[in-house]
Amino acid sequence: MAGDIVLGYDGSDGSKAALAVAVSVARAFDAPLSIVFGYEPNPMGGETADYKAKLEKIGEEMVAGALAAAKKLDSGVQTEVLVVPMRPVESLLEAALERSARVIVVGGTGERPIVGAILGSVPHKLLHRSDVPVLVVPAGDE
Amino acid sequence: MAITTGEVGLSSVPEEAGGKGLKVGALGLVSSLVIGVASTAPAYSLAATLGFVAAYVGIQAPAVMLLAFVPMLFIAAAYYYLNRADPDCGTTFTWVTRAIGPKTGWLAGWGILVTDLVVMPNLASVAGVYSFSLFGAHGIASNSSGFWVTFVGVIWIIVMTAICYIGIELSARTQVALLSAEIIILFVFAIVALAKVYGGGVAHSVRPSIEWLNPFRIHPIGALSAGMLLAVFIYWGWDTAVTVNEEAKDARRTPGRAALMSTLVLLLIYVVVTFAAQSFHGVGFLTNANNEGDILNALGTAVFGSPWNKLLLICVLTSASSSTQTTILPAARSSLSMAVHKAFPKKFADIHPKYLSPSFSTLMFGAISVIWYVALDLISPGDVLANSILALGFGIAFYYGLTGFACVFYYRRHIFKSFKNFIFIGLAPFLGAAILTVLFVIAIFYYSDPANSQSGTQAWFPFIHFNFTLLHQHFYVKKGLGPPLVLGVGFLLIGIPLMFLWMARNRDFFRRDREVAESVDSPAPPLTPGVIPVTD
Repeated sequence: MAGDIVLGYDGSDGSKAALAVAVSVARAFDAPLSIVFGYEPNPMGGETADYKAKLEKIGEEMVAGALAAAKKLDSGVQTEVLVVPMRPVESLLEAALERSARVIVVGGTGERPIVGAILGSVPHKLLHRSDVPVLVVPAGDE
Repeated sequence: MAITTGEVGLSSVPEEAGGKGLKVGALGLVSSLVIGVASTAPAYSLAATLGFVAAYVGIQAPAVMLLAFVPMLFIAAAYYYLNRADPDCGTTFTWVTRAIGPKTGWLAGWGILVTDLVVMPNLASVAGVYSFSLFGAHGIASNSSGFWVTFVGVIWIIVMTAICYIGIELSARTQVALLSAEIIILFVFAIVALAKVYGGGVAHSVRPSIEWLNPFRIHPIGALSAGMLLAVFIYWGWDTAVTVNEEAKDARRTPGRAALMSTLVLLLIYVVVTFAAQSFHGVGFLTNANNEGDILNALGTAVFGSPWNKLLLICVLTSASSSTQTTILPAARSSLSMAVHKAFPKKFADIHPKYLSPSFSTLMFGAISVIWYVALDLISPGDVLANSILALGFGIAFYYGLTGFACVFYYRRHIFKSFKNFIFIGLAPFLGAAILTVLFVIAIFYYSDPANSQSGTQAWFPFIHFNFTLLHQHFYVKKGLGPPLVLGVGFLLIGIPLMFLWMARNRDFFRRDREVAESVDSPAPPLTPGVIPVTD
């Protein structure tokens, strides 16, 4: 049962630091690692088709880069990548649920300070809403 | 390097999951409803049009509100079916390109962009005017082209552009709360106004009459057409409710229900509020030049008194903010879409690495909006609200109409296969597009006379004069054209030379072939293989 390590990855410095930690946590527990990129265009205003396709492509490239980085750190860890068409927090919660996650690993705040201040950052929201432990990794901690 | 794919439910890398997988971000009934109604922005739409609609059709305003919904409903059917066949590739621009051809498609995309641009000065002025009214600075608010209103309007555009750029979104719960407040306040306003009218003692009040819903009492046809184009604007954005529904949780029932419910909500609001507004102090109050620009403020003060009138002001402002957002987002996404398909400079397809927004498109649209707003203020002082809102109908009718025709054309092999097909992908879209085309043409003649443009005597291009007779109607242009006509049609026409300019630079997009639907239910292939490379 006790499942995956779920990592939220958006290419930011914080998420890169989180990647390194997530790999070592996965190694320590001998658990599979799921690297998740969540995106969802604001449904207000419509006209999302090409925009969504473009975001999906960016997400795929991003997680492919993350996968390569994870393999480089520790090729023994079983790693999968997920591109989820939901907002970041929702996609992590959904992935954690589907993978019966042991822990969710995310980078610390500081990447989107304005948004974070107004509407709460991803780790902040996760801490409130997640049913599984959340590990927040400060940026520059590689 | 194997990429492990997710199970159904978490669509991971799509090629390997076989198609797009299940949409996890499914929308419930309430969210779909909220998106549809919030995108339409009822309080702002009423604030921007109530006075002008009354000026054209007088006491028959509720009839126009009802009537204008008919083409919108028909066009929504086109959106629904075009989107259903291919939810992952369909925007207005791509659909028209597929069905009618790349040149028309390019112009449809251009139509969206300029329509969004034309409405921005109106949104900004309304935001400026109502902000000052909210703080009791009525002197400043009454001059909608004054420095301070323009100043606040410019800041409004900058802030809203930044919000779209950074990608700040309200949570679903906040949106529901804001929209509910907006709807409740509008209804309370209508009920209080009507109660006071029936209670008696309100100056110039008129008892509501069912005859107000009779469109046959509107003369001349030009006034009806102008009123209709204005009223089409109040439903603008409603199609979003239909298109986002593709991702609804219960895809069989939710889309229909959400569209139907948002329809009823909007129709009720518009008809009830219009009834209340014109019965309270009569039509004269609505068309009074002092009230035209901030009609809901004038009425709110009369109906609620202070400080409760502030509620109505706040609701116009929140409504205007969601309307500004639903103007900037689709504009930026349309130019992104055009750039992705090589119909626009590549830069417009840029995505911000952190915020994931269409960065260059969003910033460009914001910047051009500011320039255009200030320019319009300078060339038509005092008439920004009227000119922008009257011009808007042309753009909406243009690209909605094209979408309707595109639907018929794209599905032409399937229209007669079943009765349902005939109604929903044939007759309805065609009628919707035809009605909008007729409105467009009549309004051209009507607005060609500056006297019909609400901005009074101002005429543009005074050297233009002609007259002719068509279908027993005499058309005179004595001296110059009405500003709404010049703005509405002029912006669309600028697209033609720009398109040829772009064609000279990059022909890739224009090499596309026309397509026709293979089936109504199965998705179309993403893009014509080999004809146009999607990647940049």
